[in-house]
Amino acid sequence: MTAASYSRRRTRNAIWTVLAYAATALGLVMLGMILATLVWNGFGGLSLDVFTKNTAPPGVVGGLLNSIVGSVIMTAIGLALGAPIGILAGTYLAEYGAHSRLASAVRFINDVLLSAPSIIVGLFVYELLVAPVGHFSALAGAVSLAVLGAPIMVRTTEDMLNLVPNTLREAASALGMPRSLVIRRVAYRAVMSGLITGVLLAIARMTGETAPLIFTALGNSLFAADPRGPMSALPLIIYEFARSPYAEQQKLAWTGALILTFAVLALSISARVLSASAKQK
Amino acid sequence: MGSQAQTLAKPPVAETEKVQVRGLNFYYGQTQALRNISFNLYNGRVTAFIGPSGCGKSTLLRVLNRMYDLYPGQRAEGEVMLDGENILAPGLDLNLLRSRVGMVFQKPTPFPMTIYDNIAFGIRLYEKLPKSEMDARVESALSRAALWSEVKDKLNASGLSLSGGQQQRLCIARTVAISPEVILFDEPASALDPISTAKIEELIDELSDDYTIAIVTHNMQQAARVSQFTAFMYLGEMVEFDDTTKMFTSPRDKRTQDYVTGRFG
Amino acid sequence: MADQHTVRAYDKDLDLLERRIAEMGGLAEKMVIEAVDALSSGDAALARQVVETDARLDALQREIEEQATLTIARRQPVANDLREIIGAIRVAGDLERVGDLAKNIAKRSVKIGVESRAPRALVGIRHMNEFATELMKDVLDAYAQRDIERAREVWERDVELDALEDSVFRDLLTHMMEDPRNITFCAHLLFCSKNIERIGDHATNIAETVVYLVTGSTLPTERPRGRPEADAEADARGANK
Repeated sequence: MTAASYSRRRTRNAIWTVLAYAATALGLVMLGMILATLVWNGFGGLSLDVFTKNTAPPGVVGGLLNSIVGSVIMTAIGLALGAPIGILAGTYLAEYGAHSRLASAVRFINDVLLSAPSIIVGLFVYELLVAPVGHFSALAGAVSLAVLGAPIMVRTTEDMLNLVPNTLREAASALGMPRSLVIRRVAYRAVMSGLITGVLLAIARMTGETAPLIFTALGNSLFAADPRGPMSALPLIIYEFARSPYAEQQKLAWTGALILTFAVLALSISARVLSASAKQK
Repeated sequence: MGSQAQTLAKPPVAETEKVQVRGLNFYYGQTQALRNISFNLYNGRVTAFIGPSGCGKSTLLRVLNRMYDLYPGQRAEGEVMLDGENILAPGLDLNLLRSRVGMVFQKPTPFPMTIYDNIAFGIRLYEKLPKSEMDARVESALSRAALWSEVKDKLNASGLSLSGGQQQRLCIARTVAISPEVILFDEPASALDPISTAKIEELIDELSDDYTIAIVTHNMQQAARVSQFTAFMYLGEMVEFDDTTKMFTSPRDKRTQDYVTGRFG
Repeated sequence: MADQHTVRAYDKDLDLLERRIAEMGGLAEKMVIEAVDALSSGDAALARQVVETDARLDALQREIEEQATLTIARRQPVANDLREIIGAIRVAGDLERVGDLAKNIAKRSVKIGVESRAPRALVGIRHMNEFATELMKDVLDAYAQRDIERAREVWERDVELDALEDSVFRDLLTHMMEDPRNITFCAHLLFCSKNIERIGDHATNIAETVVYLVTGSTLPTERPRGRPEADAEADARGANK
């Protein structure tokens, strides 16, 4: 290699390295700025009241209790509805369907749903569950969340199960294990942390959705735990309070945003820790 | 220097047939992979299958426990009799078959569970045992696989934490735990270092006292060391099936001789 | 599948063995002929040459054994290759013994020196030696050609050599009884005839090796013998085949 071409290579290498680092730095800076803004504006509003008092009209000291509870309830129900569908559908695609035409169709539809505008999903569930019964409900909200979360779990489950080497399945079958046990006891166990990561990612998405809840759960200024009626949720209240002209409500919006962000962050970090500890085994 | 030399460690027994294969043909979709194969596996003996890549030896092994059933488009025709019963018959209970005919694969595949559960899992499929009995069964299986002394203090460690050779012996222990009658080995040592390989060969020697063993190997010296009968396969056909001593001192077919001596062309 | 090993160095190893055996065979044949020539003509120089050639033969045998051991370690031979190598070791051993027997005849011929000679006694010995030489030549050809028919013939013809030895024995006894001055000379010749008969035995060994090499099976262990009385005489002499 001539000296000239070698130094050209080194220069090119240096340029690309710098660009890579710069892009990373840009992303980190953006993330840092978001977190900093949230903390800066929302941290001051954190108090015990936020977690013990319901949302209140301007002038009254209030909190975010009903919104937090509402988010938790709707996400829980959404998970209860969406997780079985997501995981089992993903199992079908990886284990049973593999190359059939039905499987290809399901995969295609799933990909569409993954990137479907959430407001469309909200409108769809409105037509299905709100308009016929005449009132908004947290149940409808949970259903729309499930529709948005399930595709994530389908995709993750299928991808994870496809990573299980066929030799492992064969080794289990060679002992005389029936197919369903091979899947449940061996395949699932082999990728358990991956499956859970999928669920955590779905939860993260579900807690953050706003648009579908506008048409389904609507929101509630009072404390409500009955899923058959309208219920508040953190994204909804952030949306409402951010547009409010009142300073204390705006402050609460920031605080709510902070809580939401850090809840999602905590979930993602747990997902990471889980998969890292699984790798160590 | 005659072929009368007694190299079997066991006293000569009248050979009884455990598995009889007659006129076996096998197809991957439209492609025929096995042509009119016929041979016997004898009770308590090790039979080795050798041949170049693609000759069909692994395919043949996987017919014996109907592993190919997991994949659509693969089919077998002919007769494979296990103790007189044709295992190719439709409607046969495959899980029961596989509890009688076990398989150890080339790549060690411990389940993602503790060492104890790896063994117990298979047993639990067929028997409900109280803990003390299960403990005893697990210990006996691990002892048979020459692994007990190395893992008896860490039965709760993950199966994946063992070395390659140990993992393979764990898979062997797992297979013998359910008391099969026939054990199929598909190149069991090709992924292992020489010491682990020697341990596995010793293990196969011990196991052959109680089980009928078939082993596919691309290492001819291993076939010569380990087996009493050897089958040479080429392009989907069984070219020669003979006593191992005869196969490696004076084989009958020129193709066999060329292959075992290294005249591959 | 081909006739040559995929690893060509393997074929070279086997060729080397073959060439060395051929060399040994040629030398041994020559030694057998010259030893008896020296005996008949009393040519001491020729006799000494024979004795010296034996050293070369011994060296060749060691070389062959080394090469065979190396090939076994390197190639893990099986089937016909294994039989070839084992065969080469055996043949080398037999040829080395043939060389020793010829050397002993040559040494004895030096010892005889100017002793009174009975030329008539030599006729039988020369006849035996021609026969033995022919056996050696034929068996070495059989080895080179891997011709089992020829080897089998040699194996069977050794009977005639045994019979020849018996007749030479009686002949020599007669000479010794006729004239006591012949005893020393004929006694030496007795030993030589025994050596020549042994050369024939080694030829049959080589013949057995050829058959084993080609077919993997052995000839029957009992060779066809000479007349049964010959066995009794052999036992009486205390010499066992």
